[in-house]
Amino acid sequence: MIRLATDVGGTFTDLLGYDEITGRIYSAKSLTTVDNQSRGVLDTIRMAEATSGLEPSRVGFFVHGGTTVINAITERKGVRTALITTRGFRDVLEIGRGNRPDLYNLRFHSPAPYVERHLRLEVSERVDPDGTVVVPIAEAEIEAAAETLRADKVEAVAILFLNSYAYPDHERRCAERLADLVPGLTICASHEISRVWREFERSNTAVLNAYVKPIISRYFRELEIKLVDAAVRCAHYAMLSNGGVASFQQAAEAPLNLVESGPSGGIAGAVRIGELLGEPNVLALDVGGTTAKCSVIVDGKPRVFSDYRLEHDRHTPGYPVQVPVVDIVEIGAGGGSIARVDAFGALTVGPDSAGANPGPVCYGLGGTEPTVTDAKLITGVIDAGEFAEGRMRLDLDAARRAMTALGGKLGKGCEETAEAIVELAEANMINALKLVTIQRGHDPRDFTLVVTGGAGPLFAANLGRELNAKRVVIPPHAGIFSAWGMLAAKPRIDQRRTWFRELGADAIAPLNEELTRLKQSSLDYFGAESSGDLDHIVSIHLRYRGQEHSVTTQIDGALDQDGIAQSFHAAHAKSYSFALPETAIEITGLHLVTVLNAPVISLPRVAPDGLSLDGARTKCHRIYFGPDQGWQDSAVYARDLLPPQITLEGPALVREATTTTLVLPGQVARRDVCGLLIIQEKADS
Amino acid sequence: MDVSARHDLDPVTLEIIHGKLLSIVDEMGVVMQRTSMSPVIYEVLDFACGLCNADLELVAQTNGITLFTGTFSTQLKSVVDTYRGQMRPGDIYVTNDPYHGGTHACDFAIIRPIFHGEAILAYALNVAHWVDVGGAVPGSLPPDATSTFQEGLRLSRIRLARNDELSPEITRIILENTRLPGIAMGDLNAQIATVRIAERRLREMLDRYAPDLLADSFTAIIKNASRRSRAVIAALPDGEYVAEDIVDGDGVSDAPIPVRVKITIAGESVEADFTGCPPAVAGPINCGAGALHSAVKSVFKALVAPQEPSNEGWFRPLTIKAPPGTIFTAEKPSPTGWYYEGSVQASELVWKALAPHMPSRFSAGSYSSLCVIYLSGRTADGKEFIHIEPTHGGWGASFDQDGANAVISLTDGDTYNYSVELLEAKFPLRVRRYDFNTEGGVGPGLHRGGYGVVRDYEVLADGTLLTGSFGRSATPPWGAEGGRDGSVNRFEVIEAGSGRVTSYGRLSDRRLNKGDIVRIITGGGGGWGDPADRPAEKIENDIRAGLITRERAKLEYDYTGGRR
Repeated sequence: MIRLATDVGGTFTDLLGYDEITGRIYSAKSLTTVDNQSRGVLDTIRMAEATSGLEPSRVGFFVHGGTTVINAITERKGVRTALITTRGFRDVLEIGRGNRPDLYNLRFHSPAPYVERHLRLEVSERVDPDGTVVVPIAEAEIEAAAETLRADKVEAVAILFLNSYAYPDHERRCAERLADLVPGLTICASHEISRVWREFERSNTAVLNAYVKPIISRYFRELEIKLVDAAVRCAHYAMLSNGGVASFQQAAEAPLNLVESGPSGGIAGAVRIGELLGEPNVLALDVGGTTAKCSVIVDGKPRVFSDYRLEHDRHTPGYPVQVPVVDIVEIGAGGGSIARVDAFGALTVGPDSAGANPGPVCYGLGGTEPTVTDAKLITGVIDAGEFAEGRMRLDLDAARRAMTALGGKLGKGCEETAEAIVELAEANMINALKLVTIQRGHDPRDFTLVVTGGAGPLFAANLGRELNAKRVVIPPHAGIFSAWGMLAAKPRIDQRRTWFRELGADAIAPLNEELTRLKQSSLDYFGAESSGDLDHIVSIHLRYRGQEHSVTTQIDGALDQDGIAQSFHAAHAKSYSFALPETAIEITGLHLVTVLNAPVISLPRVAPDGLSLDGARTKCHRIYFGPDQGWQDSAVYARDLLPPQITLEGPALVREATTTTLVLPGQVARRDVCGLLIIQEKADS
Repeated sequence: MDVSARHDLDPVTLEIIHGKLLSIVDEMGVVMQRTSMSPVIYEVLDFACGLCNADLELVAQTNGITLFTGTFSTQLKSVVDTYRGQMRPGDIYVTNDPYHGGTHACDFAIIRPIFHGEAILAYALNVAHWVDVGGAVPGSLPPDATSTFQEGLRLSRIRLARNDELSPEITRIILENTRLPGIAMGDLNAQIATVRIAERRLREMLDRYAPDLLADSFTAIIKNASRRSRAVIAALPDGEYVAEDIVDGDGVSDAPIPVRVKITIAGESVEADFTGCPPAVAGPINCGAGALHSAVKSVFKALVAPQEPSNEGWFRPLTIKAPPGTIFTAEKPSPTGWYYEGSVQASELVWKALAPHMPSRFSAGSYSSLCVIYLSGRTADGKEFIHIEPTHGGWGASFDQDGANAVISLTDGDTYNYSVELLEAKFPLRVRRYDFNTEGGVGPGLHRGGYGVVRDYEVLADGTLLTGSFGRSATPPWGAEGGRDGSVNRFEVIEAGSGRVTSYGRLSDRRLNKGDIVRIITGGGGGWGDPADRPAEKIENDIRAGLITRERAKLEYDYTGGRR
């Protein structure tokens, strides 16, 4: 059986297939078809058929990651959407949280809501947080709202009533009535997608889900038909943002769960690499053209974040959504990041990027400002003649001219300037990697750094050294790693509930009842026959009385008061350096992760036959290591030809089709029996 | 002397060190927010963390709210002057004295000197608003206070720890002088954790960089900012710009208080002269000189570098002139509990003076007051509660756009409103309405002001106490360049049963009954440009959105549907 993944990115659509029996890998890359991504997906399948003999009828598992959801949201191309809410709260969606993160900007505006005021309709109803109905729902007002929806040709409606996270009856009633009154209308009641408190965040979640739902339903229907036509007739899965997968049907129900589909594939892959290495703690870094993304995996589990914010940065609050998303810190540092010197002589790298077009100066496509890629070319890490398997000849002279001009403003020479750019880009990445480790109570020395993305392996060795990481690992197919990772993902559902109670002896029984209910609903989700294969992971959100923010504490053992309290004190001390053992503890929520055990991708063993270091060495290349170490001769190896478990010494370059790995002086590297490239300090190895 | 020329402090190393310092203060901020026990800290972000160099100059600071823009140095100086030569590694100091660089007694500053060998390399600071520090009322801020002695415990420049051991005596003084000792100790712990983290991170930097290289980096960071700041000022037209305004009552009396500023821009320097402002008033809306400096610096920062990380350098070109003992330079024992209601008016004076001349930076007048209310009492199971909440409001229009709806006032920043669902689960309150204040409206103009909000609290427990102090309750936000004024901030009590309505600007401790409604109303911002020039299409959009009625459109814009 073949397992097949397609990952639609901004520029390229990647395909990666894995034959479970022979271990054979199929790969293909084609341009993303922006108007309808399913065409690009089919293009890659046809390419793989033509170039490597992929037999679609042998595909037994198909997973798809894409950007349809995030594109529809960021390009404002969803359907005409309305909101029905509790009378008196029409403007909650627009007011948001009213914060001004850009605090010295006296012309600041909050981001515009996805539903304009005239389509935010009110219905009289009110339920208290304990479930008491203060105002019964006004049926006549639902009918009036339905009339407006019809008149305004609304395609989708979200419903948000206060306190529905705990008591959703009024939302249910409203949804039922609307379904009767306006046939064909897409209806999303907030409790169906989130059972977590905070009315603005939940409204925004319901609104964005409604806004993209008709589009995604159409998209999956169409893709399904095309896949079947192409003889890929197995079960079709979509990559979710939580690091798991779901059937097309499940995904179309709650499409907002697809919002970070692609990056989440990379994290699933990093988890799998950790498993294969027997390494539970992984720090994952993916460096692309424009950004670097990092994420932390502890005890074999990615951190799943539930207060994700779309279009958020230091200066804008963005749009918070209450769907599970793997915790990824993204910074504006990638291969295309532009270096500039301002009027005061300060050098900056990124966040502006030259992208793929015009791209770095060395592409010769019109770029004039030096980028990180130009710096790596000038310092010798990238080879002008072997970039992209030699399909694209890089213009070293043009890069040097641009770099020399920039260096003039700094009083530095060409190579020195290039080195400074690399150093600054790396400093940005290191700060981001520290943010997900040290600032969350983890010591990077306990972590294996897994580096992917076309540009990642250029930096990996030095980042590992600066962070004192245990070792650095470059997986195979690092340039299309998200697709690889999707084949490592399992069907998964995250259920979160706001559940508020003081932690005491009398809380344990109701806690268990609530968990039993959650487990039952995950059984319903997967279908009862799969019950034997389900793994449940229970976390409780806990805080000291008086605190606002909770610490998510995983409970592995029995659920008893002392056990929970001890786990929480330890988690609090780890994250924040202190615990308050005398202070009362409150439970604020539950998080149940349920994973369906299923086979996933593995790495075939590398046969040592006929491979040797000498045979893998293709040539020698000069690399610049900064003013102290200067230019040094470095061996260049072909990754595919490296013999397993034989150590090579830095400085060295290891080349493969989609990327190049730099090994520093003082470091050693080896290709392990699974084909992973592992870099360590010579002194440690 | 060009500092960056010495050692090997090249621009790249400097940039990297600066990045590391900013992530240290960010980390301090995250720890503070996540572990604090007070909503006013974790939701309102009424705190700041930072690092100062051995010369007591601010090097890096968290970006939470503007209230603490540049208050660190004067506060730190008051402590260092007191303990010169006596500071040792492992010391922690505390101060909350408005007359020694502080803001009000509720703001506790924690200071940690960080040593390298015998010498001080830097200071880590954390200032945070404590929910209660004793005094006349729960929350320690009686809006009608007439003396600082009604505003709670003042620990003026006190050593809190030696060898990292908290003084049990000082701790006991704190515990015995607050109504909420558990929360106070929780927040103190959180604050101490942040300055210790800062020390640990700086020590890690010392593994890599020599101490004098670090010290020189601090100086260079400040110097670079000052060069940039001077360049911005030099490009502005020289001149004198005057603004006048009214402060609506001081909490003791409703009498209008006229205030004024004269801004002089000359070459690379700016002077803000508050001469002519009245003496300190009886009520607690006075601010001390430290808070005045912070208020002016906030607007100055908006002018020179709104998005750059803050440090002392940006403020080098700025001089602030104000005689002692005025409403903006209050001295002991003038009350300062609600100082931010006074200091925001100082900020706004500078803003108002400059707005017409620098339209790309400044909007017309906004609702400005933080519009804070306190609701306190007991929950059904007898536990004491205090709900403190600032309210978001309407901002002024600018030369190219309508004003912002419902964002937090200038004094705060990354400050969230309180989730209705969260607060209903916690306090005996039910929110009945939270939407735009369309009744009060906004300042008409070519570009109109942004809308304020109406937030109705139904009180669910007898004996709940209401306190509040709103500025701009009589003098609306100003329009600019022909735009009209906006609408005022008020709060009302609507009594259960009788329906009797009483309206307030400032109020101390009114007892409420179950079923009473507290209605908070924040104003709409001022308009920009002549209302007659507003396009019909935009007026129609506002009518369709239900923001303005046709009748009102006729009145404010002389608009009668399609044509004027």
